[in-house]
Amino acid sequence: MKINVLSFLTGLLIVVLLVAGVMFLKSRKVAPVKQLPVTAVAGLHRAFPKVIGPESAPVKLIEYSDFECPSCRIAQGTIAQVFRDYPGKIQLTYRHFPLTSHRWSIYAHQAAECMQIQGKFWPYQDKLYEKQPEWAASKVPPVEMFGRYAREQGADMNLFTACMGDVAVTRGIYAEKEEGARNQINATPTFFLGGERFVGPREMREKGVNAIRRALGLPEFPVVPEPAVPQAKESLPPAKK
Amino acid sequence: MREKNYKLLFAGRVFLGLVFVCSGFIKLMEPIENFRGAMTAYDVIPSVVIPVLAQVIPWAEFVFGFFLVAGYLPRISAGVLAGLSWSFVLLILITKTMTGSLPKDCGCFGEGSFLHLKPLQVVFLDVFNTLIGIKLALTKNHPFSLASILK
Repeated sequence: MKINVLSFLTGLLIVVLLVAGVMFLKSRKVAPVKQLPVTAVAGLHRAFPKVIGPESAPVKLIEYSDFECPSCRIAQGTIAQVFRDYPGKIQLTYRHFPLTSHRWSIYAHQAAECMQIQGKFWPYQDKLYEKQPEWAASKVPPVEMFGRYAREQGADMNLFTACMGDVAVTRGIYAEKEEGARNQINATPTFFLGGERFVGPREMREKGVNAIRRALGLPEFPVVPEPAVPQAKESLPPAKK
Repeated sequence: MREKNYKLLFAGRVFLGLVFVCSGFIKLMEPIENFRGAMTAYDVIPSVVIPVLAQVIPWAEFVFGFFLVAGYLPRISAGVLAGLSWSFVLLILITKTMTGSLPKDCGCFGEGSFLHLKPLQVVFLDVFNTLIGIKLALTKNHPFSLASILK
């Protein structure tokens, strides 16, 4: 195949100039980012760490999950169980992983993150899981339902409403998801305990619980008892600051 | 094709190229999360490919749009842009069929720009762009182009 060198070099030159031009303009931040109503925390927002349990806890679990995912709801039973069985020994960090295939998921994560800003993430996540069948079946974005749940939790509704439209909060959520994607997460819920990974409620119950017991120096269960699907009253312990 | 007959096609070439130059440039100037967010609104796009598409599509739009306006590799550029346009049409139609709903904003021209099209408006624009792109890709000679100078 005959290559026209002049043509090739011209194309290369154009591409180099275009890339350099874009990079230069981008570095000078000429164009504004998305303009939306902003909350007091906008612009600086990164998804806040959502941690429950004492810092001194010997077992530090990390959970990536999606509020619209039924398996994630089921896994809450195991999590509640380990908090009950090993009080003061478990610390759980929640990280957003809204799945694209769940159409209302990102709204739920935004609502939860908005409640985190108000220090009410954990009871709100319980509510989201408890009411999951209700809002996930909605035909329209269930923003009103999320608002109702937030009101029930005593949220400042002005702040909540402004936060729900804040793209900076959404970016924080996606940044967490991206971090999960870098950790090769492709299903929810995924739990990490040190270097170990447990995917799905069953693996968490069958292997994760024993991994926790190993970490605590306890003998492993031959068969781990199955917890019930969580109800509101069976939720995680109250958040500690 | 004689230059006289090419005038209309030239207008189409510039139009198609500029649409994609604008679309790509605006996306490139915005945080990549904006475009990722726009794509996640289309439930049929698998989440694993969104980060890759968010990186590739704006550059492809910008570079091939510029190529087409300048007339560099006009047939290939027109073919690529016609392919992109048609894939956007399919994306909207498949999303509508499978989920029964569409995002309010297509996300085609970024989030912070002045230009916000509804998905159905985009379908018409992209069908039009696809037809122009196919016609340009099938046209052998492109006067007023870098390609004709570099021959």
